[in-house]
Amino acid sequence: MEILAIAVLGVFALGYLVLGGADIGVGMLLPFLGRDGAERRVVLATVAPFFLGNEVWLVATAGVLVGAFPDLEGELLSGLFPAVVALLAGWMVRDAGLWSRGRVEARAWAAGCDGAIVLGSWTVALSWGWMFAGLLAGVTDRVVTGPGAALAALAVATLFAAHGLAFAGLRLAGPLRARAGAFSGRSGTAGEAQTFALTTAAMVALGLAVGLRLPLAESAVDSATLSLLVPAMAAVTPLLLAAQAWVWWIFRHRVHGPSYL
Amino acid sequence: MDPQTLDLARLQFALTAGGHFLFVALTLGLATLVACVQTWATLSRDPLGARMTRYWGQLYVINYAVGIITGLVMEFQFGLSWSGLTHFAGNVFGASLAMETLVAFFVESTFLGLWIFGWDRLNRWVHLAVIWVVTLTAYASAYWILVSNGFLNNPRGHRLAADGESLRLVDAWAVLTNPSSIAAFWHVLGGALVTAGFFVAGVSAYHLLRRTPEWLFFLRSLRLGVFVTLPALMLTVVFGGLQMGLIGEYQPMKLATFQGDAAEIARLQAEMVAEHGPGDYSPPSGWVRVSAILMVTTWPTMMMFSAASTLLASFRPVALRLQVWHVLLVLAVPLPYVAMIAGWVFREVGRQPWVVNGLLTTAEAVSPVSAGSMRVSLAVFTTVFALLALVNGWLLLRQAARGPGDVALGRPAAEGRPEPLPRPTY
Repeated sequence: MEILAIAVLGVFALGYLVLGGADIGVGMLLPFLGRDGAERRVVLATVAPFFLGNEVWLVATAGVLVGAFPDLEGELLSGLFPAVVALLAGWMVRDAGLWSRGRVEARAWAAGCDGAIVLGSWTVALSWGWMFAGLLAGVTDRVVTGPGAALAALAVATLFAAHGLAFAGLRLAGPLRARAGAFSGRSGTAGEAQTFALTTAAMVALGLAVGLRLPLAESAVDSATLSLLVPAMAAVTPLLLAAQAWVWWIFRHRVHGPSYL
Repeated sequence: MDPQTLDLARLQFALTAGGHFLFVALTLGLATLVACVQTWATLSRDPLGARMTRYWGQLYVINYAVGIITGLVMEFQFGLSWSGLTHFAGNVFGASLAMETLVAFFVESTFLGLWIFGWDRLNRWVHLAVIWVVTLTAYASAYWILVSNGFLNNPRGHRLAADGESLRLVDAWAVLTNPSSIAAFWHVLGGALVTAGFFVAGVSAYHLLRRTPEWLFFLRSLRLGVFVTLPALMLTVVFGGLQMGLIGEYQPMKLATFQGDAAEIARLQAEMVAEHGPGDYSPPSGWVRVSAILMVTTWPTMMMFSAASTLLASFRPVALRLQVWHVLLVLAVPLPYVAMIAGWVFREVGRQPWVVNGLLTTAEAVSPVSAGSMRVSLAVFTTVFALLALVNGWLLLRQAARGPGDVALGRPAAEGRPEPLPRPTY
């Protein structure tokens, strides 16, 4: 049962890193990918139908953590307090920018929202880097500081950005696509897919490395709870994946123009 | 544990949950009304119905943003600020939170994205099904959260572990059918419909007051809003009254505080001291009494107004021209919000000093975090929430005032938006 609970947790955590990581990366590189307000709007359209569905992978991860590993959840979140607060603040600012951008047609408004999206995305990515720096070193009860931690945080944030760039290359069209491709140093559809596969693999490897350092098996809940919760989670997970896969299928085409955001 | 950390953590959670609840109340009710309008529009193929779906849907989506953003933060605050609660009650309380994220939040967000962006890509019947999935999962979300909250108010289906430091799940069915959860669910659902009904009626009245050429659009909308409030108010009061009875049963101290019964408070206090050791076991009476009085006095006000409005809205010339009434409808929009927030304060503050009624105090639940860290996080969250609520409230009112002529949601691709962006006007 514990193994199954860990597997469900892994599915959601890795899903977040791969899918959510891509739209965070696109947000980080927004000023580079789109040179003016209209272009940035098109860049945002690459993640628009997905960002809501992407971020709930993390909410689900937190849910599985509190349901199946409540002690570890409490220890991690209160131990990594400052980094979690930074993550949440960045997340809120980023989402507020995304939700509000298209609602007012004034150049200054769009610029302000773009600023919120970029700042928020960087804060989210760096907060993950900060947390992962400690977790990879096996520290779960406090945040790590110092040049090593800063370097690790920066490296993780760079990975998020690279992953976002690779994703943008797969989603954009025309000159914007060329720009995304130029940054990743490749051209052509095959190259774009390869780059994205590579950054995806790096994200998954990072997630697995962190997960393996966590004392998951020891901190699972009581078997009475697990025997009810795990079958329920295991039963709904394929349905959730199918629903998301359907959304990705519907919006699979490259974007040529702006969307609702 | 630093007593300051406790106060700061409580204030932080209260602001997050309060802000969340204010926006969610409208989200939950408005989703239902939008789904009903879209059903009618899809069945009748009436273009007016399609426009109503887009306009009210646009307001729903704008309002949704704050609900979801504060909801995300709240999901993390349990571990962040209340690790003692997850440690003590995680075995029982965590599972319902987990189910909420998986079967409700996850599906709701995925399908809301599909509904917003899939307007002209999906078959219209599929698109209609999608809004119903969003609405029903929003209900499911409310149910699971109230299962968690109901356990805190009236713990059942559990036993204390041998070490006495945590709870074990014994009877899942008892947790899922907790009367404290079920009654609160219907009560909140009714309240949400009241909130949405007053909102839709108020916005429509504003446009009729300004003699809009869209009179048919807003006459229909006004009737929709007005006609939904009366049954919704009845639903709310039935389950509200039921809860008062339940409170007398499992939270006698809350009821005695509300009634200001000093003798009963003293008797219960002595009983609790004998059972749990020395301490103050009564909730802050000012908060409990004021919130309860606000809640139970707004109800008859809304009820009388709603009954009169139902009558007035039935006569077309009156509904279109009675301006005094239009003004009152606009002024009445905040009433359900007052009742909702007051009811929530009564439920949550009335439980103090317990976080899990009779089992774990709020002071025992707070995380071992320094007051300084908690203060910084409180400042950060409060600033972001306040800005978010102000900007979003402004966007909501602005869009509401603009009327159905300028709605981005579901705009046919050909219409598009002016590109490039218009020159700034300053």
